[in-house]
Amino acid sequence: MKLSIKDQIGLRCIIKEDGQKIYDAIHGALQNGETVTLDFEGVNQFASPFFNFAIGQLLKDIPEADLRRLLQIKHLNETGKLVVERVIENAAKYHGDKDYRKIVDDILEQQAKESG
Amino acid sequence: MTQKVIQILTLNDGPHDFARLFGIWNDVNDYFEDIRFDFSRCGFLRPNAVAFLGGLARLIESRMGSVTFDWNTLHNSWVRTTIRQNGFASAFGDPSAPWDGTSIPYREDTALDMNGIMDYLTYDWLGKGWGKTHLSERVRDAIAGKMWEIYNNAFEHSDSKIGVFSCGQHFRNKNELCLSVIDFGLGIPAKIRNFVGTDPRAQSLPSDACLRWAFTRGKSTCTGGVARGLGLDLLKEFVRLNEGKLEIYSNDGYAIVDKDGERYENRDISFEGTVVHITLRCDENLYRFRDEAEQP
Repeated sequence: MKLSIKDQIGLRCIIKEDGQKIYDAIHGALQNGETVTLDFEGVNQFASPFFNFAIGQLLKDIPEADLRRLLQIKHLNETGKLVVERVIENAAKYHGDKDYRKIVDDILEQQAKESG
Repeated sequence: MTQKVIQILTLNDGPHDFARLFGIWNDVNDYFEDIRFDFSRCGFLRPNAVAFLGGLARLIESRMGSVTFDWNTLHNSWVRTTIRQNGFASAFGDPSAPWDGTSIPYREDTALDMNGIMDYLTYDWLGKGWGKTHLSERVRDAIAGKMWEIYNNAFEHSDSKIGVFSCGQHFRNKNELCLSVIDFGLGIPAKIRNFVGTDPRAQSLPSDACLRWAFTRGKSTCTGGVARGLGLDLLKEFVRLNEGKLEIYSNDGYAIVDKDGERYENRDISFEGTVVHITLRCDENLYRFRDEAEQP
């Protein structure tokens, strides 16, 4: 399966709604073990919400190693590559269930470190 | 009801100037206020002040008050020309129409308009003057994408009922390009306290600690199963690499990221909302990709 991002989305990969469209188009194929190629030829502008939804959320049910093997990314410029790598790294560590007590502990712990 | 007159003094972008802006916000923070802004003692207005006053006027209007900008009191010719050219004056009753000069337009967004905001960043903020002549198109595209994260955060997290207000300016003499993006929503510390509200310690979390958490990669108050929390981190990294300055005022918290690192403080201010103020150094050698040649 090959998708031209410029044809599907346009010149800007910015918003989460567009990312969701790409996710919806490729998720099933990747789950079935098919190779998917996303071609970013002609796309010039990137931001994290697009990639969080297009690629980051794939890691909910596809292991990172499988995703890296099955998802081919072509013609993505340097800026886009930086954001994608950050998104994959962030999503791989993400835990969907929010533990509010743990968040408060984190905030106070960071604070104690800084003032200590 | 009597009209309250607020003197707009000379406003730059130092801590004292922001404190003064938040003081004005406090002065007009009731419902049914009728306000007149008087500029007779104003010798200079930086874009942060322009965006703040525009948003404040919309906030007052949303609370069933009225706002008059008394343009007859504006005697400083630089300020008058700039706010006419950037469209601020015409947005608030001045008959003059804005024109396409070197000023960066004043902007109001009530919804997250991707193409409108990206065009503004790419062509108005970065595509005039220094940005047009000294930055490659690729670099302008890259910077605009980073700046988008500010608008995305403002719309996704602030719960601002009146939208987001922005203005920028290129200061040739200081070699600086500024952008201020302001919302009148909850504020980042308040949002985080609400988010963790089930914990009994939530309401006593200090603002500086909340801002530090918000600036950490992967930390976000978004729910819904998709990892987020990269916007401020990407922005922070960009500003540090390019020796710029990123300042955030939110509630009584203050954060600054610059070449010396990042610092978080609690300030003696109170403001319901968030100001993001970015200052970039206009040195084109700081903004190039590895495969782009250095300028002589």
